[in-house]
Amino acid sequence: MSTTTFIRTADLKGLVADFNAAGIGVAGPARTSDGAVDYQSITSFDAVVLDAQPRNSLKQFFLPPTEPLFKYARQGQDVAILEVPMSFPPRVLIGARPCDAAAVEVLDRVMNWDYKDEPWFARRDATTIVTFACPGGDRSCFCTAVGLAPDATRGSDLLLAPAGDGYVVEIVTPKGQKLVDAYAKRFATGAGVDATKAYRDTARASVEGHVPARPDVIRAWVETHFEDPFWAEISMRCHGCGGCAASCPTCHCFDIVDEPETLTEGVRRRNWDTCQTSLFTMHASGHNPRHDQCGRCRQRVNHKFAIYPARFNDILCTGCGRCARTCPAGQDVTEILTRIVAMATGQGGAA
Amino acid sequence: MTELRELARRLLSEGTVNAVLGWEEGPRGARPAFVTTPDGADRLIFDPRCVHDLASYLSPRRPHLKKLGKVAVVLKPCDARAVAGLIRETQIPRENVVLVGVRCGGVLADPESTAPLSETTVADRCRGCPDREAKLADHVVGTAGAGFPGPSRRAQKIEELAAMPVDRRWDFWQAELSKCVRCHACRQVCPLCFCERCMADKSLPRWIESSPHARGNIAWHITRAMHLAGRCVDCGECERVCPEGIPLGLITRKIAQVVSDRYDFRPSDDPAVPAPVGTYRMDDPQEFIL
Repeated sequence: MSTTTFIRTADLKGLVADFNAAGIGVAGPARTSDGAVDYQSITSFDAVVLDAQPRNSLKQFFLPPTEPLFKYARQGQDVAILEVPMSFPPRVLIGARPCDAAAVEVLDRVMNWDYKDEPWFARRDATTIVTFACPGGDRSCFCTAVGLAPDATRGSDLLLAPAGDGYVVEIVTPKGQKLVDAYAKRFATGAGVDATKAYRDTARASVEGHVPARPDVIRAWVETHFEDPFWAEISMRCHGCGGCAASCPTCHCFDIVDEPETLTEGVRRRNWDTCQTSLFTMHASGHNPRHDQCGRCRQRVNHKFAIYPARFNDILCTGCGRCARTCPAGQDVTEILTRIVAMATGQGGAA
Repeated sequence: MTELRELARRLLSEGTVNAVLGWEEGPRGARPAFVTTPDGADRLIFDPRCVHDLASYLSPRRPHLKKLGKVAVVLKPCDARAVAGLIRETQIPRENVVLVGVRCGGVLADPESTAPLSETTVADRCRGCPDREAKLADHVVGTAGAGFPGPSRRAQKIEELAAMPVDRRWDFWQAELSKCVRCHACRQVCPLCFCERCMADKSLPRWIESSPHARGNIAWHITRAMHLAGRCVDCGECERVCPEGIPLGLITRKIAQVVSDRYDFRPSDDPAVPAPVGTYRMDDPQEFIL
């Protein structure tokens, strides 16, 4: 078990002021102009909104929607490659949700698989994640069904849970310890983890039972039912809009494009992409192995609950429920997974 | 609701259609339903949470739905305008689809909402909507409330933007469009965005940069707005689906106003009314021709 310390709410505000003064970027969940809550840059802890799940996830801080990989310049027959900076200023993400912090750690697997993704890990190194234990979720939350919890520490450097006039701070990583040491005057002795038990229990109760906690059963069924009519049935309502992937903390597929800036110079960029569109798998020949939405809906479930577990022994889903909340057509991952478990255990089939 | 279910059951049991596209109760409120058996008709609902434009599912670029064969689709009056658009632009033959109109006095903004329909909860696009039932429909069921008077808040915002100096208006749109992550959800959900291959997906040459930077985003949204001029039926789906909360309806409605003012065309559910793009009249405004 990690060591703990305590921070009063007033000191938490002071801590954000300290970061500002030290030139450390701070981002956290705050209101947007359209009334939603997004993780975004903040300058004061007063802006932080902790009682609503942010609309976006944390992935944009490590894999931005667009980023330059390098610049190029044609010089006669040659092409010169001009590096772009791959070091990033320090940043603290404060008020992260445990499902979002865990997602970043889940993605470290694929980002360091056959190739170490330089910008991803440069941003990871520059960033400290200060997570707040989740107060509880709605019917689309199911973190406990994928091995996490509203107070899971995975991916966090510090985990805060409210107690009295402040927060019990679990120091999860050496990076978290470093932050506590650097701002020691902001931390104090106070309540221990036991004081947060009721808070944690309430949160856990609010997310449990939404999906059976049977990831092995789900994986086995998905691996053996590639042609099942279930996929055709659920895909009918799907528009292929990719809203699920855009809001997902673990969907990480990207496209790479060369964009000319002048006649002789340009930038190679990578941009978010999604397996929910036709273009994602379109071959230059015109053949498309995933020729309709049925294959694309299956792919999303397959990648998260079968392919990623097979390759990395990890689930590419943290149970945040954003895909269900954002879907304009009411596609619901909790329903899909619950039905898969029912079919696998002989209690149901395709409607 | 009984009327709707009975009709759907009859259409399916008589073999008139292979599927009825309507709405059902989902885990998070109302959602689109695809009913393929007579008994499944009991799943169908219609209430103010049924905001989705089901005409999107008739678009020919959805091969997985073509497999259903002949379908019936349940339509609000606004959705019927989209079906008329698809017929007008020869995307679906009228006789290939059975249209079931539901009388409508406005819907909520959010299919998950549990609030009763009222002056404060009604979707902004429904304010001032004159249509209570789809004239294009083969069958019309249900009863409708009186509707809600305009103007919409959006119409007021459009006026406000039009009154702004150009540089401030530019600032407003730069801020809004900078949020775009180019997921193209607005396109995917649009019933009238039916191109087999979207211009934004073409890479030889690359007409519209796919990166979500200012240049790419503005190119995309201006192109989309122009392609929807005289075609957008104001179903509101693009704005509802946008994961970044961009007020896309301000763009499409502004363009619709211009088309209405200059070419005397408003999208209706009469597919026989010619589309302004593709129609030439001797008295068309042409002062822009040098």
